[in-house]
Amino acid sequence: MEVKITEKDNILTAELIGRLDTAVSQEVSTALQPLMDGADKTLVLDCKELSYISSSGLRIFLTIRKAAAAKGGKVIVRDINTEIRQVFMMTGFLNLFEIQES
Amino acid sequence: MTGIKTINFASAFQGILVVFVALVILEAGYVVQYYQTRNIVVENAYRRAQDNIDRVEQDFTRIAELVECAVRNNTWSARVLATQPDSLWALTRGIVEDNPLVYGSAMALMENYSKKAGRFFAPYAFRDGNVIRNVQLGTDQYDYTHQEWFVKALDTGEKGYWSEPYYDEGGGNKLMTTYSVPVFDHRGTLAAVLTADVALDWVSDRLAAIEDYPYSLKMLISQTGSIMATSPSYDSINRRNIMDLAEEMEDGADFREINRNMLAGEEGSRRASLQGKSYYVFYDKMQKTGWFMSMSIPEEEIFGELRMMNRRVLGIQLLGLLMLLVILWVTIRNQHRLMVVNENKSRLESELQVASDIQKAMVPKVFPPFPGRKDIDIYASLTPAKEVGGDLYDYFMRDERLYFCIGDVSGKGVPASLVMSEACSFFRTIAGHEKSPARIVTSINRNLVEMSTNDMFVTFFCGVLDMATGHLRYCNAGHNAPVLLTPESSVQLPVIPNIPLGVMDGFLFQEQEMDFTAGEGIFLYTDGLNEAENADLDQFGMDRVIKAMNQTFTATEQVEKMLQNVHSFVGEAPQSDDLTLLYIRYMNESPEAVTERHLVLHNDIQQIPQLAEFVELVAQTAKLDSVLTNSLNLALEEAVTNVMLYAYPAGTDGLVDIGVLIRRDQLEFSIIDSGKPFDPTAAPEADITLDVEDRPIGGLGIFLVRKIMDNVFYQRKEGRNVFTMQKNLL
Repeated sequence: MEVKITEKDNILTAELIGRLDTAVSQEVSTALQPLMDGADKTLVLDCKELSYISSSGLRIFLTIRKAAAAKGGKVIVRDINTEIRQVFMMTGFLNLFEIQES
Repeated sequence: MTGIKTINFASAFQGILVVFVALVILEAGYVVQYYQTRNIVVENAYRRAQDNIDRVEQDFTRIAELVECAVRNNTWSARVLATQPDSLWALTRGIVEDNPLVYGSAMALMENYSKKAGRFFAPYAFRDGNVIRNVQLGTDQYDYTHQEWFVKALDTGEKGYWSEPYYDEGGGNKLMTTYSVPVFDHRGTLAAVLTADVALDWVSDRLAAIEDYPYSLKMLISQTGSIMATSPSYDSINRRNIMDLAEEMEDGADFREINRNMLAGEEGSRRASLQGKSYYVFYDKMQKTGWFMSMSIPEEEIFGELRMMNRRVLGIQLLGLLMLLVILWVTIRNQHRLMVVNENKSRLESELQVASDIQKAMVPKVFPPFPGRKDIDIYASLTPAKEVGGDLYDYFMRDERLYFCIGDVSGKGVPASLVMSEACSFFRTIAGHEKSPARIVTSINRNLVEMSTNDMFVTFFCGVLDMATGHLRYCNAGHNAPVLLTPESSVQLPVIPNIPLGVMDGFLFQEQEMDFTAGEGIFLYTDGLNEAENADLDQFGMDRVIKAMNQTFTATEQVEKMLQNVHSFVGEAPQSDDLTLLYIRYMNESPEAVTERHLVLHNDIQQIPQLAEFVELVAQTAKLDSVLTNSLNLALEEAVTNVMLYAYPAGTDGLVDIGVLIRRDQLEFSIIDSGKPFDPTAAPEADITLDVEDRPIGGLGIFLVRKIMDNVFYQRKEGRNVFTMQKNLL
């Protein structure tokens, strides 16, 4: 699991690469701390290379979403695959996040 | 037993022959050596005698020279003083006083030389105890001018004359000799004879001091042949003349000749016999005095050492003989032992036969093994190369599963057979409670390694066949890949080689699996089959094995056919290795296709990726699409993570057992742990309709499990949490 964070035009983009399962959730959570800190900006979770997500990953997404809601920021989830889309659907996350296809 | 006796006689005769030849060689060598040694001994004795004689002569010469010197030193004074007779007392006294070797000294004037002194005047000084006395020798009654010492001195002249040894009646009956020289006065007229007497009483001691043969006779003989001293001392011959003595002897011819030669001045050695005894006589003339010394040594004395040596040699020979006899005896006895060994061997052979029977009884031999069962067909054959072998096979039915194995212990014979029997019993014991072939193999391996049989290892193949489903799990430990028979083909089963058993503990044996359908079979064998050699050393080979396979054969037909083929190939060549064949055919026509998979993890979330691999395997077996696979993965991760995080107290190690039953229409997962009772299904349903602000962070895990699975339920069984999840297929 790899996390790449870039900032451009006041937009913080986190590129998630690999499987986000319970084993790596703690380190991913740490790696995404800049998004928590910049929760007043526009946050992009780029999931083009994310192959899998479990509930521990969903927690991280939800935590960021809550921070953004509190600080007036905005969260965009970009390019989720079919499997993750199904998980988002099951968990009601499709209603919580703005999903974008590039 | 007659055989034993014949051999003993033959070897005894051989032994005696060896001893006899050795004796002849020894004796021949000994005779040659004896004569050589004899010559050396005689030569040695001569040298010794000569040496001793020389040393006595040297002593004499030294003393004689001292005395001669003492006398000559005074001839000048004597010459001057000859005309003053009164002063001659002092002169003679002085000679005695100054020379400890000189016993007495006289200055005997020529007849009527001095009117004042009278007709015969000879002042004489001599030792009497510690004092020196003077006497006048010349009286009218004692005309010394006719004495030997006087006359010969005049004859001999300035060189001086050593008298015949004599016994001095006046001086304590001592053996004496006198040195005398003539003295001329200043006019050149012969004036006197000056003498010095020397005691010879030490001569006997000197002779006795010669270290020599104990029974030799040493004699000092005067110029005229009188015996002056002997060692050992014989009073009866002392002062006698040797010529007279020899004349008196009846068989003294040899000695008479020796005496004549000696007195004529000859030096050397001669052999002489006297009274039946042989002597070696060594003799020599002393240059200064003209005296002789002789040594007579009995022959037996000279050769005494040689005789002693003879005895030793004889002793050694006897010892050698004795040793030869001992060797002979030991050899014969060893041959007897050989017979005993042979007897032991035949006893061992019969014991081996018993061992062979026992070993054969260790493998199942009753066919069909499961009468009444139509779903399995088994036949096997084991032929050891020797009485006992290292090949093994076994099978048994437990809980509707067939556990079977085949193995080959490295090496042949008794050592291999012992390991073989160990391996057999390990298999029976361990497979009696263990379901996984990999774990069975791992356990047997550990036990064999613990036995630490040097260099022994076992190639082994172990399989567990589920009779209901035809699912085979197998583990190969360095054994030959079995042949898989399907209606389409006969091919070697794909095997992970792993390593043979007994090599090292802790090796991670990998398990494999496959599914049988009715009529398919697995043909197992040891390398005694494919490596069977004919007289041209060609091997039977796998091609011939595969070729001999026939899918329509029964197990018995197949094995017998293979044996027939390999026997006709090998021909007359001896069987080089143990040969074992085991053929198992799965005959169940209507299996309930259930496949079982297991994974055991520790309560460590870092092991979660292994779970993904496990699910991937299940998906392959059940031929699932990627979306369903992903969902199942998610559900399992949620369920397992739950157990990992909550079942065991923090910091303690615990296991999570994940199992799956793959049926045609359903997957059934079970997650089992030994932690505290925990029912995940008791959690309240998450409300996914809430807004961001109201959504709780947790609670999604079990929610997802429920969403993905068709049926979930929890049971507390035997102290364990059993969480079951079912997913319907189709």
